[in-house]
Amino acid sequence: MDREVIIPMTAHRPLLDVRDLEVAYETKGGLFRKSMTTVVKGVSFHIAPGETYGLVGESGSGKSTTGRAILRLADIAGGSIDFDGTDIAGMGSRTPLSYRRDVQAVYQDPGASLNPRHHVGRAVTDALKRHGIGDRASRRKKALESFEQVGLTAAHLDRFPSEMSGGQLQRVAIARALVLEPRLVICDEAVSALDLSTQSQIINLLMDLQKDSGVSYLFITHDLGVVRHISQRVGVLKLGELVEEGVTEELFDNPQHEYTQALLTASPSSTPEGRDERRELRQKRRVSVPSLRQAS
Amino acid sequence: MTTSTVGPAAASAPAARQASGPAQAWRRLRHQPVTLAAVITIAIIIVIAAAAPLIAPYDAGETDFTSVLAGPSADHLLGTDDFGHDILSQLIYAARTALIVGVGSVLVAMLIGVPMGLILGYKGGWYDRLGSRVMDIADAMPGIMIGFVVIAILGRGTLILIFAIGLIFSMNFARMVRAITLTERKKLYVESAHVTGLRNRQIVFGQVLPNLVGPLAVQGAVFLGNAIKVEAALSFLGLGLPDDQPSWGGMLRTAAEHQVDHPWMALPPGIAIVITVLALNLLGDGINDALSGARTSRKQRKRALHQAPTLAEVEEAKRAVSSVVTTPVAVAPALAQALVTTDKHPDPVLAVRDIHIVADRPDGEVVPLVSSLDLTVGRGEVMGLLGESGSGKSMLAKSILGLLPAGVRVESGSVELAGEELVGRTERQWREIRGKKLGVVFQNPQANLSPVHTVGRQLIDPLRIHHGMSKAVARDQAADLLDMVGVKDAAKRLDDYPHQFSGGMAQRVAIAIALAGDPDVLILDEATSALDVTTQSQVLDLVLDLREKLGMAVINITHDLGVAAEACDRVAIMYHGQLLEVNDVFSLFDEPHHPYTKALLASHPTADHKVDRLPTIADFVTADGEWIAR
Repeated sequence: MDREVIIPMTAHRPLLDVRDLEVAYETKGGLFRKSMTTVVKGVSFHIAPGETYGLVGESGSGKSTTGRAILRLADIAGGSIDFDGTDIAGMGSRTPLSYRRDVQAVYQDPGASLNPRHHVGRAVTDALKRHGIGDRASRRKKALESFEQVGLTAAHLDRFPSEMSGGQLQRVAIARALVLEPRLVICDEAVSALDLSTQSQIINLLMDLQKDSGVSYLFITHDLGVVRHISQRVGVLKLGELVEEGVTEELFDNPQHEYTQALLTASPSSTPEGRDERRELRQKRRVSVPSLRQAS
Repeated sequence: MTTSTVGPAAASAPAARQASGPAQAWRRLRHQPVTLAAVITIAIIIVIAAAAPLIAPYDAGETDFTSVLAGPSADHLLGTDDFGHDILSQLIYAARTALIVGVGSVLVAMLIGVPMGLILGYKGGWYDRLGSRVMDIADAMPGIMIGFVVIAILGRGTLILIFAIGLIFSMNFARMVRAITLTERKKLYVESAHVTGLRNRQIVFGQVLPNLVGPLAVQGAVFLGNAIKVEAALSFLGLGLPDDQPSWGGMLRTAAEHQVDHPWMALPPGIAIVITVLALNLLGDGINDALSGARTSRKQRKRALHQAPTLAEVEEAKRAVSSVVTTPVAVAPALAQALVTTDKHPDPVLAVRDIHIVADRPDGEVVPLVSSLDLTVGRGEVMGLLGESGSGKSMLAKSILGLLPAGVRVESGSVELAGEELVGRTERQWREIRGKKLGVVFQNPQANLSPVHTVGRQLIDPLRIHHGMSKAVARDQAADLLDMVGVKDAAKRLDDYPHQFSGGMAQRVAIAIALAGDPDVLILDEATSALDVTTQSQVLDLVLDLREKLGMAVINITHDLGVAAEACDRVAIMYHGQLLEVNDVFSLFDEPHHPYTKALLASHPTADHKVDRLPTIADFVTADGEWIAR
């Protein structure tokens, strides 16, 4: 890595400290042989309390797998994940309930992440119930408060997911994630499937909620524009390796790694000005960097 | 706190509230006459069975030795059997038996099979391997033999029969539940439940099980019919119920003994079994159709093309349009018209004039999807069609391609392609246009291509059809096309199948196929939306290169402002089925006219610069829901 280690924004130790994380999947090699494919190869980064860390990369970069490993949904093959001083990679098969409360997730497809057969309000009350918070009536009250916090109303509590728009569903997913007052939320492409006008509302909502609660976000996305807007620091993943990391502004203004540079030139601009030059630049880069010529 | 609200509509319920799943299924169910008939039949059988003592002319065990083995008479409408039992009364009491045994055994089968399937499907691993073998072994044994064994061990009796039949069908339930659970457990809502910390037990029974209710209802109805058949078979063999208990199978056995001299005796129980089982099977099919919302028969599907759409289709089309309901800002037509700055191209190849696209609801209501839209696309021009979901941009493209879904039609207006009218063509006339004068590439690269044919075949066929080439010439031409879209070793790769290409490469192949007919207009329907940014930029650059080389016009339908900025000459902004603004791409981004365009541009987070807070549509709308013109 070319960049020097970034000093956390606060003097505290980081909330999440990922070191040399490796995740491998079992793939069928043959009848008796099992072969392992490593999809995350020695990734290290940390997130400070109240910070948003962006993890960008294309499909197959291992960005979602990294998130799943932190959520203890993918088996960790190597390295460590320290959450508030505890190594969660070394825990057994059981995940402590407190960790399930501290770390939450918001996914790309809000429709799929909510049970199609349950009223959406139940997603929130079920979570509260599992963590032993309140009685039936107070849980409902709390669910309503969390709905209002994300811009929904009491009328939305008793709807099925099929009765709501994508933006509304994503608000429900955010309400479910935040009602437990977590300290870290993994946002896996959380705004990628939304229309532009909805996307900006959800981004603002996430940032407002962070300001109020001091929650940290791991923001996983392929969208460089969103990452630039929302995160303080960014890591760039390519084929399971973190190729570059840095403070967002610096990384975007002065990318060091050629892959980051290629990503930035390939990323569509918000304005047509200078597009012919960009096209030429891409042309040249494709010729000079053979590995990018056919990135897929 | 400062939450960003969704604008004025956030608090109010959506205009068209969707009916919930079960309610919608019930509505569909009511629209199926066959299913309705089945429901009525079953209801009648249930009433007869429940009220047997009231309806039956004689008691179940009552014997009349004065008339034994008699034919139908006024006293005994269906005659009597060898003990002088009234056959009609026996039939009625036997319905009771059939239902009790049927329902009971399905319940037993579910009680054993559902938890087993849930656990095997959810736990996987050794549980699943072991459990699946048990199911295989159980399946290999004839069901009726399992019945024999259970009855042989436990003896005859109603409860034992219920248990025996339940056991026979339990493995079918287990197998089905396991298969569904396997797919459900990979879904995001299950993962979300994990993240919330729910226990496995809570996830399996609280989260997964409710999603099995539909399939279980279907299978339950079908197995109920089967259970009644098995009960009849076992009783016929004398293994089922005790002889003094009336059953359709037992009646058949009596009938079989007197088959030669009294053939009519087999008819009443036989007909009763057929009607009951048939009604239950039809009910199962009906529930299945209602839940999936699909019409199964080909005839119906064909009819649907010309007649009213199904409710589901209209709901979907309407939802597509009303999903923008979170920001329902009325578009004043006058304002919209005034803002269309350069809608005319001096050398148009495609001209859409005053087109109205509507969806017909079964209740006769006509829902507008695209209203009075004018648009021209010039020769060799890349026209961007930019809009969010529900803007009508895809419907517009589908009307140009003649691919509107069932129930959606062009109500008025015209689409002219190089002097030819496209609206009102028959399917046969469309074939001269699609794939020849109009090429199209859709979003999902693999879905654009047929998985069972080599890409060579998919390229050669259109070349031969549209240009009448010989096979050898077409193959050379196909290789040239593949080479042109940037596929290495084109001649060799002609023999590869689509799955052997990566997403970006598959999309290049799809473009090559679209170009095979030498089209005047190439339509890209979100063709690069599913691709990674580096791949997307390559495909967009390729389209621009091809346009320069071949001179065809391109309509690039996208929701991505960046795609419009990078790869379009002119851009048309669509919102709520209306065209708000058309302009040269540089002017449009520099000086957007319509407040909605301004809002879109402002709310787009980009990699080139950063703002403190993203403006949203709400910032461009007054409290009364009107656009702020500024």
